[in-house]
Amino acid sequence: MSIVLEDVVHRYPGSGQGVLGLSLQVAREELVSVIGASGCGKSTLLRLVAGLLPLQQGALAIDGQAMDRVPAWKRPVGMVFQSYALFRHLDVLDNVAYGLRMRQVDRARSRSRALAVLESVGMAEHAARRVDQLSGGQQQRVALARALAFGPSVLLLDEPLAALDAHLRARLCDEIRDAHRRSGAATLLVTHDQQEAMMLADRVAVMDRGRLVQVDTPRRLYERPATLEVARFVGHANLLPARVVGPGRVRCAFGDLLAPTQAHAPDTAVTLLVRPEAVQPDPPADAPNRLGGRLTRERFLGPTSRWDFAVPGPTPGHETVLLCEGPRYARHAISLEPERLLLLEAQPLPAGMGATASPPVASSPSPPPTLDTGGSA
Amino acid sequence: MIVALYLVYLLLPIALLALGSVGEVWTNTLLPTGVTLRWFGELAADASFRRAFGTSLIVALATCVGTALLAVPLAYALHHRAGRAGALAARLLAALPVAVPALTLGFGYILVFSSDALPWLGSLPLLVAAHVVLTLPYMTQAVLADLRHLGLRELEACAATLGAGPWAQFATVALPSMRHSLVTGSVMVVALSIGEFQLSNLIASFSHRTYPVVLLQAFYGATGYACAATVVLLVLALLAAAVPARGTGA
Repeated sequence: MSIVLEDVVHRYPGSGQGVLGLSLQVAREELVSVIGASGCGKSTLLRLVAGLLPLQQGALAIDGQAMDRVPAWKRPVGMVFQSYALFRHLDVLDNVAYGLRMRQVDRARSRSRALAVLESVGMAEHAARRVDQLSGGQQQRVALARALAFGPSVLLLDEPLAALDAHLRARLCDEIRDAHRRSGAATLLVTHDQQEAMMLADRVAVMDRGRLVQVDTPRRLYERPATLEVARFVGHANLLPARVVGPGRVRCAFGDLLAPTQAHAPDTAVTLLVRPEAVQPDPPADAPNRLGGRLTRERFLGPTSRWDFAVPGPTPGHETVLLCEGPRYARHAISLEPERLLLLEAQPLPAGMGATASPPVASSPSPPPTLDTGGSA
Repeated sequence: MIVALYLVYLLLPIALLALGSVGEVWTNTLLPTGVTLRWFGELAADASFRRAFGTSLIVALATCVGTALLAVPLAYALHHRAGRAGALAARLLAALPVAVPALTLGFGYILVFSSDALPWLGSLPLLVAAHVVLTLPYMTQAVLADLRHLGLRELEACAATLGAGPWAQFATVALPSMRHSLVTGSVMVVALSIGEFQLSNLIASFSHRTYPVVLLQAFYGATGYACAATVVLLVLALLAAAVPARGTGA
């Protein structure tokens, strides 16, 4: 393993936030994305690995060597900062050559190596330009080239695409992936963009309040989230309080549904996770988990659409709105594919997170059922 | 409109001084009459003015160098201790020129440096040191503001990940990043030093009198002579301010 973190802690004085006991291993040539809500400790984790913050507890090793007492400037770590942190008094070539010069590589060799790395990120023609004359995307490429130029065995990327527009982000994602493959470095990428994380990473680590909640491949993380927090954070999720009523059956606001209940005993309280794309529009009358209702909102997204579908229940006069996704809208009914439903541990679902049950269409003494759709619509 | 009025208020006395410096006679009239360069000739012939001119230049430039040498590490240290104590120290430093008037400082210097133990009153180094004390807060504030604006911590953190130790971070990232504030700070320091009167008048010896101190004498003579001496002071300040600006490549 190239990076080994064992129960590391760095708690900021006062707030108590930071990294509060985290273990993670990243192999050479592996790219692990770290995602989580703001303030969960993602950037602190990178700074601990870079040596910019001290470990208060735990151990960190890079390439089998303990890093606890190794200062930042002696670690084999390259880092791309969110602000890029390019040196404005140096031109592009000297920025990229900086790490080599600091490692006593002579001027001619460092500039020639820097030029080769700039070439690999398509920036060689801008080598003589001042960094403040570059666009955001070009600055990002220069920052990446600079972090890779001296051949670090660990690459740290702190929200490297956050300042760029969506179109450029998608393009640079591929470039980051290519650069990572070429370098062979163990890479940790911090991002708040879950799509970016899943697109780039071999594994995704989800952090919550200073701790890792789940580390898994993007697909498993999406299809088998370990907790409600992960389900909420990764992709969009309809979360419904439910109870297992028998083998393969759960009861929720819509009544009884077919669902894979193997891991749960009867009469267990659970949370039912329904991904938007697990909803089939206007299914045949005999489709399992068929629910009648009405389309309440349409959002056209080009190749797909995202739409809200209100299902009546559990009491007369109430509706529960499900976020659905697919190329066509449902008009009268939907079905929830049983094998794509997932049961998670029961937890109180906080109110006001994403879309919730619609207001009552008729006055009713009972409150509407809670429905949580994680992520942003 | 307000800017125009302000400019008139600022520039009118300077224009009148310039006019007066080449006017033959200026007594009980709105503007001087006649044109002459006689006053400048008399000024150039006056040995005390020539010496004061040279002293002022030397003091201003030495003050500029001394202030820069102190302000850079001071601002750097304050920036890196930007907690409550650092912020308080920076605020105190900024208030120092107002809180401690030059007159107070001058009397203090007379008391301390006229003793047998420290008999340096009237010496050129003491005059330069006094100007450094007066101008240090201005230069420090200029550099400190620049450091905050630059996001120096992030730049230094980045340099560290690229292999730069603390000294290399300072020499290759922090110092070059301060160049603009060093230029603006130097211009301010030179301008302040050239025009400084109160402190210099109290602690400078006869042979090290600065230009503003000698200038006061001119006002006891002809109006044209006083105007010419003041115009020379203005030119001197502009020239001295241009030297550090040129030296640092701004």
